[in-house]
Amino acid sequence: MQPHLKRAFIILILVIIGFLFVRSFIVPGSFGQYGWYRGDSVAELRELPVGYAGSASCSDVNCHNSVYTIWVNSSHKTVNCETCHGPSQNHVTDTRTMPTPANDTREFCGMCHFKRTARPADFPQIDPDTHGENLQCTYCHNPHKPWFL
Amino acid sequence: MELSRREFTKFGCKIIIGAAAGTTLIESIATIDAQEATSSKNYDWTKHYWGYIVDTSKCIGCGRCANACKLENHVPFDEPVYRTWVERYRITNEGREEKVTIDSPNGGIDGFTDDIPADEVKKAFYVPKICNHCENPPCVQVCPVGATYETEDGVVLVDYNYCIGCRYCIQGCPYGARYFNTEKGTADKCTWCYHRITKGLLPACVQACPVGARKFGDLKDPESEINKILDKERINVLKPDLGTKPKVYYVGLDREVR
Amino acid sequence: MAIENLIWGYIYPNEAEIQWSILIVLYPYITGLVAGAFIASSLYHVFGKQEIKPVARFALLTALAFLLVATMPLLTHLGHPERGIEIMFTPHLTSAMSGFGYIYSFYLIIVLLEIWLSFREDIVKNALKFKGWKKLMYSSLALFSYDISEKSLHDDEKFARKLAIIGIPSAAFLHGYVGFIFGGIKANPWWSTPLMPIIFLMSAIVSGIALLILLYLTASWLRKKAINYKTLFSLAHYLWIFLILDVALEMLEIISMKYESLEEIEIIDRLLSDKIATTFYGVQLTLGIFVPFVLLILVMVMKNREKLKTLMVAVSAILVVIGVFAMRWNVVIGGQEISKSLSGTMTYVPVFFSQEGVLPAMIILILPFIILTVLTFILPPWKDMDAEME
Repeated sequence: MQPHLKRAFIILILVIIGFLFVRSFIVPGSFGQYGWYRGDSVAELRELPVGYAGSASCSDVNCHNSVYTIWVNSSHKTVNCETCHGPSQNHVTDTRTMPTPANDTREFCGMCHFKRTARPADFPQIDPDTHGENLQCTYCHNPHKPWFL
Repeated sequence: MELSRREFTKFGCKIIIGAAAGTTLIESIATIDAQEATSSKNYDWTKHYWGYIVDTSKCIGCGRCANACKLENHVPFDEPVYRTWVERYRITNEGREEKVTIDSPNGGIDGFTDDIPADEVKKAFYVPKICNHCENPPCVQVCPVGATYETEDGVVLVDYNYCIGCRYCIQGCPYGARYFNTEKGTADKCTWCYHRITKGLLPACVQACPVGARKFGDLKDPESEINKILDKERINVLKPDLGTKPKVYYVGLDREVR
Repeated sequence: MAIENLIWGYIYPNEAEIQWSILIVLYPYITGLVAGAFIASSLYHVFGKQEIKPVARFALLTALAFLLVATMPLLTHLGHPERGIEIMFTPHLTSAMSGFGYIYSFYLIIVLLEIWLSFREDIVKNALKFKGWKKLMYSSLALFSYDISEKSLHDDEKFARKLAIIGIPSAAFLHGYVGFIFGGIKANPWWSTPLMPIIFLMSAIVSGIALLILLYLTASWLRKKAINYKTLFSLAHYLWIFLILDVALEMLEIISMKYESLEEIEIIDRLLSDKIATTFYGVQLTLGIFVPFVLLILVMVMKNREKLKTLMVAVSAILVVIGVFAMRWNVVIGGQEISKSLSGTMTYVPVFFSQEGVLPAMIILILPFIILTVLTFILPPWKDMDAEME
């Protein structure tokens, strides 16, 4: 092989070796641990903080047990505490941090209960124009224990 | 009214008594709960294979799921990006033709208002949508660097510290379930709340649903509720012809839903 | 414009934002020009077409100039440009995109070697002729080996030919794979077709030849040299042949889509009749293919009248270069303007000043011409052009 070609190939091989050398440093150690991805990322994603604590964490006797008992026997039992009250893990971890108060406007109750064509017909719905004279729903209804059923 | 006020007073007293008894007690209880709810140390991903069921006939379109998802996962509220959303389908007659109107204003988070008179609507229903966590995920296939992957327990995740932000996966997803996170500069998507399910909690959307239209469970557990439903009901998935094998199963899916 | 006015029908809520901007239109456009210019040069280097010889080395320099900027639109577009190298460190081989780093590097090496070997005689002569930093530059380029005996140059030529033989499939692969990036996306009915790689390849060759014609005419005009009509009309002839292949494939795709009329036909119809009607029927097909096609036929049948024919070739080449850009636009942007729900469309509104705006796109598109000018000062390819004329 001619000398200039030989030199060109030596340069090429050096570049490739350099690339492999740098690669061995930069690719994260856990890459390929489980598959073609960074294994550590699984743990990172598992450890993300939780926002919604779940209704069970409200039920403690020292906490909201009485209202929990009322709610759990009501027809609203399928509606979890945090669906209206918002995420409460911070409050559960440290009771001094207060969650934002539940939205008790007509519009908020209406998200489920205003009459809409696409809602299943057997779902309890009211016509907001004729029902309740624009009063706050909680004026007549207890959200923890609605009247019917 | 009377009842609720009485309850409230009782409840309030309890808090005061509790506070008087000393915050240490409450704190100790709270710490136990918090520990239970924040540990995924004992989670074994070989023992689970997660699945999701949406019963479209139950959905009332309240959008609490999409709202809870954004809160739980810190998805920006002021950007048009959603890990889960609710679609509304309304079928009306237009001459002899059927007309399908589909919408999902702000992913359904603000609820829906009727802008077509009820008597003109022939058929209407809501369809919650979410990442299908496909068994054969096209998004994972097209990722050039291995920054998105399917876990052993069947969840498709994004590695935010490795994603280069090329957005090929967003193009590859047939369901529009992925979005670009401008804050992180990476692709982003539903994780089925991987940080929750590995701690024994339900995904935030499932927990937030007031009517049980969303179900989540373990396909490896023969006694799980979702397996019971899968055995009993007639099930469909979205875009089955694409061969993606979704693990979000739909009960009562209409032919208009894509 | 409010976002609502840009949307028709129903799109998935996450689709309101168009993800791949004008920069991603540039990327296949630029790699296409690279592949096309390289294949044009191999008409001489591999297939021995003597009439192409005057522009063969110039074509190689053109390929290199565009190849050097090919990565720029991609890197500028990434959410994390600093992580871009992962595509070479941990390429996920099921992804069409993962091949980019390696295919690109391999091709860059081939083009560099090819240029080096075909210019080596000049490099060595300059190294011996000049003094000071110029001597150092040319000596380094020669790798301090100065053998330009008849035998050595002959061996170089043989080796360069072998390289070019590998070069053609790798040029085809470089661009074919870009087509597959789009063609392999089953989620998008406007992209998903096995014809995509070969359509991309044909339009790449077409655009590369047209660009070479334009650059050759410009260079001759700037250097005030006479045009070699044999070379020019021969390039025009090849341009015409590849235009036929290109249009046949593009039509085949549209016709079979229409004929089969699958689920997605309604939204494709809407895309073609509303969203990209002008850029598709007007620019890509009429201006970009039909007009140059007719002009080039006229060039081939007309006798004498070289000035007029040159003008017609020049106009054809300009139209083809614009038409192929429109084709890239219609694929990349058009494909994203239809919702994957197949029930609606959105609109791409280019921004001028932004990371992914028109300004960086313009800079990236002007850059190769500057690089090419610099390259022609270091390695002047004009000797071949002028040799035939004397």
